[in-house]
Amino acid sequence: MSFLKPKTHIEKGDVVILYLSVSSMHAIEAVPEIVNKKGETIPHIFQTNYGSLKVENIIGVEYGSKVELSKGWAHVLQPTPELWTQTLPHRTQIIYTPDISMIIHQLEVRPGAVVVESGTGSGSLSHYFLRALKPTGHLHTFDFHEARADQARDEFRRHGIADFVTVYHRDVCNLGFGAELDGKADAVFLDLPAPDLAVPHAFKALKLSGGRFCSFSPCIEQSQRCIQELTKLGFNEIVSLEVLQQENVVKTRTLPVIDLEFLKLPKTDETTAATNALESKAPKEVKKYLTSSNPQTLPGHTGFLTFATLPPNIPKA
Amino acid sequence: MATEEDIPRIQLGDYIVIQRQKYTKLQKFGSLDTTATLGKETLELKSLLDQPYGSTFKMCVKETKPGKRGAQRQHTLELCSETELRSTREVLGISSSGADNRDIRDDGEAQTLKPEDIAQLREECNDSSKIIEKLVENSKTFHNRTEYSQEKYLLKKEKKYFEFVQIRQPTIRLMLDIFYRQDSEKVMGIRVDTLSQIISYSGVCGFGSYLLYESGTNGLLPAAMLNSIGAGTEGTLVHMHPGNVPQKQALSALKLPLEQQQRCVSVNLYSVLREFYQGGDAKATDIPVVEPSENEPQETQLETPTEEQPEAIEPTTKKPKLDESNSGREGAKGPPRWHLENKRATALMHAEFDSLVVAAKEHPSNILQALLPLVKPSRPVVVFSTCKELLQETFMELKTTGKVTGLHLTSNWLRTYQILPNRTHPEVNMSGNSGYLLTGYTLR
Repeated sequence: MSFLKPKTHIEKGDVVILYLSVSSMHAIEAVPEIVNKKGETIPHIFQTNYGSLKVENIIGVEYGSKVELSKGWAHVLQPTPELWTQTLPHRTQIIYTPDISMIIHQLEVRPGAVVVESGTGSGSLSHYFLRALKPTGHLHTFDFHEARADQARDEFRRHGIADFVTVYHRDVCNLGFGAELDGKADAVFLDLPAPDLAVPHAFKALKLSGGRFCSFSPCIEQSQRCIQELTKLGFNEIVSLEVLQQENVVKTRTLPVIDLEFLKLPKTDETTAATNALESKAPKEVKKYLTSSNPQTLPGHTGFLTFATLPPNIPKA
Repeated sequence: MATEEDIPRIQLGDYIVIQRQKYTKLQKFGSLDTTATLGKETLELKSLLDQPYGSTFKMCVKETKPGKRGAQRQHTLELCSETELRSTREVLGISSSGADNRDIRDDGEAQTLKPEDIAQLREECNDSSKIIEKLVENSKTFHNRTEYSQEKYLLKKEKKYFEFVQIRQPTIRLMLDIFYRQDSEKVMGIRVDTLSQIISYSGVCGFGSYLLYESGTNGLLPAAMLNSIGAGTEGTLVHMHPGNVPQKQALSALKLPLEQQQRCVSVNLYSVLREFYQGGDAKATDIPVVEPSENEPQETQLETPTEEQPEAIEPTTKKPKLDESNSGREGAKGPPRWHLENKRATALMHAEFDSLVVAAKEHPSNILQALLPLVKPSRPVVVFSTCKELLQETFMELKTTGKVTGLHLTSNWLRTYQILPNRTHPEVNMSGNSGYLLTGYTLR
């Protein structure tokens, strides 16, 4: 229930982000008991590298607090779509915040917007759509994999945002989005292997007053076919782009300093003895600098984002 | 017909986006006599009134005057249907092309029409397709060019002679493109990918109370956040700024419902913090004292023209409100408006915020030190800067305090692509600096 609006305390049933470190976060459901593989009800104890957590103990705790583990501690955070994207169970490959934020911006999603999405996948992007369009908008999300559609539906309910979303099990490339959605959408988003097959259906779903379209494609050939179809149907303002986020790691570095000035003067017997004594006793000079650098691995490619506008008053035969 | 009524219509006083092919311009439709300038073309806007947004208009030459850089043309605008917009290649019925350029020479004589002929042609014809048709007919080399080269030639000519404009309703997306292209400093160098990430990481939406400090984005950042808060929701925004008057062009252009606009409280950083810390009742009669600031004179000058124009242009129907605000200013009938805003902001500050965004020309350290205590635990914090070094220092300071966790310092690489059959490639040029974002979450 913790995705709907900002909260101050953890309630039973909330999804909570257990924050151990920048690269170690877990999403746990705040329920005192779970059912194990034998079907028995047992206390809910969550295991981490820093020890175990009796989940019952965090219910009632204020978000942002430090909680004790058996061999350390962690912080509990209220989930946001950004944190959920880092911790969600993967049923598919997912899109991350740098791409998603651009999608939300370019599709001009805001409270009250009606958005059509396919496929649902693991629901990563869906959570961002829902945050942006609630409380008066609605998301219609489609997946042709029945189990994935069911899991997504269940997840939205447990997160407290089921009122703003309808999950459909449907092959939109062949069957479209359904007659009930014709002319209803402000924006359509596609993350499909063959988005060009769904473009005519997206065209039908968008409002007569126009709307925005987006397709996410890893391969340039997918984008090419998609754009050909968009152009045919009268979409304009067609733009393809790619966003890659770069992390900057901040560190204070200690650098040793080489002194080379003494080499300009010849060694004498007297100075030789003195220098040897100095070198053996005096510590090397060092300087500290605040620096940043890129991590060893950076994302090199996620996908091409293709955006387009459907102008107003284009007739749909 | 029922559906047509859903599309909003162009009204006097609206800001509009004028688009000619890929070029866009933000213009206030202040009166029936307002004109807009696109390069050498001057457009009379009176025929726009009450037409639906998204309409396409044809520029019809009304008058031509000689100017220093060539003829200046004045146009009236005529509404036209979408069917008039067709591919130039289609209209001209071009079907033959060459294989390569081995026999094409640049001798400067390919075009047999003279500049005077073309100028006269332009006077007589309103259709760009007719002008281009003449140019193609009188080009010796056109049909020897490759198909792609012909396409490129037509595109180039069309860009010059194109006679249609589309009138669109301003959105955050369109306005950011316009501001950034005109002068990225106007929006503090905040690029499209950076703005979208600020909105995302800050979590601003229809629920919650949000705090923004911003000093110089032409009102685009508060407008984007208020846009995300939405109409008819319970979200609120406190927008702090360093000057006496907040920049509000972007906010005005969006034409948000009054109810939504009122959920953004814009206050001077110094006066609201003084009231928050010291309690302000005893000083109700004080004029806000602005602390010395290097940016202050510039921003005041920038804002004055914007302030004056709207008042001068205001339609008759709004005069009652003007009278009300006049009586408010006299002071005899109550405290000044800025004081009421401070009160509202202070109440929200005591209730604490669900997110903090800082986009400052000043060094962010002291601003964060003052504003972070106003944010609830487990809430996002986003700091923007065009310089990485400032955020590196801020990163270390925040890490030391232990009040913030999950700190990330990021920037973006944004590349756009030309995608056309058999000629797909990244665009040759790209923007080089997205600025930097420092993001994290507050702790208890």
